Amino acid sequence: MRKPFSLRLWIDGLLQSLTYLFSSVSFLTLGAILVFLFNQGWSLMNVDLLTYDYESNVYLATIERYEEPGNFPAMQSLEDNVYYSQKWGLGIEEGVDLLGQPSIIIAYIHPDSPFETLVNKSAVGPEQFPLLKEYLISKISYNDRATSLARRGAERMIQELDSSNSIFELEVTTKGGGIRGSLITTLWLIGLTLLFALPIGIGAALYLNEYAKKDQATRIIRSFIEILTGVPSIIFGLLGLAVFVPLVVSLTANTNSPATGGNLISGAMTLAVILLPVIIRTTEESLRVVPNDYRYASLALGASQTQTTFKVVVPNALPGILASTLLAIGRIVGESAALIFAVGSIIRDEVTLTDKSTSLAVHIYSMMTDEPANIALSSTIAIIILGIVLILNLLIKFISYRFLKGRLGAQV
Amino acid sequence: MKSKNTLKKVVDKIVENILFGTAILSASFIVLIVIVIFERGITPFISDNDGLGQVNLLRFLTGIVYLDGPTFLSNAYGIGYLIISTLYNAFLALLIAAPIATLTALFIAKIAPRWLGNLLRTIIEILAAIPSIVYGLFGAGFILNVVYNLSVSFGVQSAAGFSVLSTVIVLAIMIIPTMTVIAEVAIRSVDKSLIQGSLALGATQTQTQFKVVLAAAKSGIFTAAILGVGRALGEATAVALVAGSRRSGITFNLFDTTATLTSTMLLGMKETVGLDYTIRFSIGLVLMVIILLTNLTLNFIKRKVGRMYA
Amino acid sequence: MEKTFVVKGLNLYYGKNHALKNIDLSIDSHSVTALIGPSGCGKSTFLRTLNRMNDLIPDVTIRGQVLFGSLDVYDKKTDVIDVRKRVGMVFQKPNPFPMSIYDNIAYGPRCQRHYEKKEMDALVKKALEDAALWEEVKDRLNKSALELSGGQQQRLCIARALAMNPEVLLMDEPTSALDPIATAKIEELIVQLKQHYTIVIVTHSMQQAARISDQTAFFLLGDLIEVGDTKSFFSTPKDPRSESYITGRFG
Repeated sequence: MRKPFSLRLWIDGLLQSLTYLFSSVSFLTLGAILVFLFNQGWSLMNVDLLTYDYESNVYLATIERYEEPGNFPAMQSLEDNVYYSQKWGLGIEEGVDLLGQPSIIIAYIHPDSPFETLVNKSAVGPEQFPLLKEYLISKISYNDRATSLARRGAERMIQELDSSNSIFELEVTTKGGGIRGSLITTLWLIGLTLLFALPIGIGAALYLNEYAKKDQATRIIRSFIEILTGVPSIIFGLLGLAVFVPLVVSLTANTNSPATGGNLISGAMTLAVILLPVIIRTTEESLRVVPNDYRYASLALGASQTQTTFKVVVPNALPGILASTLLAIGRIVGESAALIFAVGSIIRDEVTLTDKSTSLAVHIYSMMTDEPANIALSSTIAIIILGIVLILNLLIKFISYRFLKGRLGAQV
Repeated sequence: MKSKNTLKKVVDKIVENILFGTAILSASFIVLIVIVIFERGITPFISDNDGLGQVNLLRFLTGIVYLDGPTFLSNAYGIGYLIISTLYNAFLALLIAAPIATLTALFIAKIAPRWLGNLLRTIIEILAAIPSIVYGLFGAGFILNVVYNLSVSFGVQSAAGFSVLSTVIVLAIMIIPTMTVIAEVAIRSVDKSLIQGSLALGATQTQTQFKVVLAAAKSGIFTAAILGVGRALGEATAVALVAGSRRSGITFNLFDTTATLTSTMLLGMKETVGLDYTIRFSIGLVLMVIILLTNLTLNFIKRKVGRMYA
Repeated sequence: MEKTFVVKGLNLYYGKNHALKNIDLSIDSHSVTALIGPSGCGKSTFLRTLNRMNDLIPDVTIRGQVLFGSLDVYDKKTDVIDVRKRVGMVFQKPNPFPMSIYDNIAYGPRCQRHYEKKEMDALVKKALEDAALWEEVKDRLNKSALELSGGQQQRLCIARALAMNPEVLLMDEPTSALDPIATAKIEELIVQLKQHYTIVIVTHSMQQAARISDQTAFFLLGDLIEVGDTKSFFSTPKDPRSESYITGRFG
């Protein structure tokens, strides 16, 4: 007996197709995001990114006074187009600079080469700086012969270098587009924020779970803390701007590097406030998992409440505290709006705690609001951020299943 | 022996008070936020603003031009149009995100085989962990192009893709993951006896899913929507990169540029002083009020609807 | 007496667990058949095979024949939706949908086709009358079904099943979650319903089986030990195990 095709079957089929279609949206979105980021940013990905400055600068520099030429055989095989001076330990090749003009690019520097660290003769910039791969040399001046010019070619420059025993100065262009400053900023922010947030958060969690009576007052405290989770991060930025920035400015007024506006310390304070609810909630979760029997046993042995809390409860709650730390780090790495307000969005290569800088996330924002927007480098940084966040989430999941009976999900 | 015990008790008291202090401190931040934003936000309306004169509150709340006059020289701020476009963008994003999140949750919880459900759930978790700046980057680098090409094929004007549509797409993508997670929990906790009852009456699996399961999970799905809209209202950096920083006028055209309260607060942060700086607090205050009102309204609706179906 | 169900050689496995062992049982039409036995004996499992609700459990294997009239319930070509339309089921714990009373009753019919309002109003009224609930709820059909008492909810579930106009009503311990007064009302209802429907009821209360059923089947550890006319089963059971169970020596 054949079933007649009814309206019901058509509707069912339609609903099912719709469900399958909509469910594929998430899958496609993640795919699109990953493809986009890797497509745009993978080519720039290399370790040097982490050590280079963002700004590209031109310096007049020289080698240190005591440095002399010697014998520096190359410690790795060099490509055919690299010309190497064994006397000075310097390998160069021909290339183009950012504007497309022919230039000399550093290809290799021997670790003991006199050129390894240069002394800055310019009025601005650091006193000393390392000579790194992919820097450009426009010219080398000597004390004992005529100057080498980049436009005369790499082979000739090496020949002239080999024939000299005394360097006067060289004009070097550093490579930019690195994220060292932002990376350092991010690390500082993580450290400082955890420094502010963990004691307060863990302390509050301990109070709420171990000491507080289950009365109206405790409920009020809890709800005041929970409300923070519904506040958009830009509002926290306003708080940082209005309260923490002036606070740090006045606190550092008499030090030798006083804050004059947005700074990392106030940024860390702002982030700490954002993270408090998460840290408190996660820590409380792990405190609850500690069996009451442990507490009773400790107290029955004559230990004080304090001893019980810190010698028995907290050590057993460490996995959860660790998880909350990892959650916090993930959130710090990804935060942007609050930091733009509380710290600023100026990319720096030299990072001071009492001055503006950008975290990795804000670095992206700063580049994307420039003209023209640097999508490629932004994507590279985004890949790095995603990598960090994903690893953190995996760790949190691992801790959660192993120690907390799976009570957390990825919540970054 | 006795003094050792009293020492312990004293230490206990001190420690308890310190911990109590941290708890009170944590609870006080929301109060601090409200006070500070209120105090700063009110200032432009009651002070002289260094000679520029008081900002007119009514005009501020209803005005459709962000600033009438040159920056730093005028006090004629109006964010009425921003309030409307913020709500418009957020609810439009919700309109797109809610069906997608709900059906995806239904799929994961009830329809997909175990392995596929777990895979999809992992994908959702990864999407939920992506920071908003990365979504903004994706929006600026990809969605803008898509929308631009779309507008070209429709023969409509579009400012290189900066538009309501781009903003709404980016916001929707951002809120779908968390909404899906919450909806999935609600759907999975629907009593199995309801499902059995429906099937025993001769309903198909699909009929059961859509007529009974989704109905029973209604309140959880509504909660997901409330959270989603809250996130969409407060999102700043992602919107700033795709909206187009509209300076005046109300528009509902999908391809027109737009702006939100948050994106306007962000722009120009690099160099800003005086009234232009303080007014951002006023905008922030309005934002907080809007979010509060939206939450209250939606929760009220949720309870009204929920009463019918317990 | 006409037979609604004829079950021959029914074997059911949950994975490797042999839950129903070679069951042969006929269900008479327009009568109440009670399935009794201690917990875990398979009576609920057997009930669920009659409307293919066991299909929902993973790793279930079913062998044998379940004939519903001339229809083989487990034949590959059989439309399971059709079976469930003709065989209604009421569960142990009342499970009204989170909708209005009206929508609960209307749910089943609406899944099959569209009904005009007048048609549906009449259908709902009849179902509620047949379930002896109409007088109590006729003024609040649009209120939530969850506001009803436990007993009323169970009668609602019966009405919901009756709205499909089934031939059979399967009831899985329908009163075990209810108080004595509500239980009595439902037992009264069951006796009335058997004029129009065939009823198979699983019960853990022998007194209930003795009160309302015409035929009693005794299950033990997956076997059908004895089946027969209720009066003679309880007064003179043929199998010694039946006698032990009836006299309360186990179960």
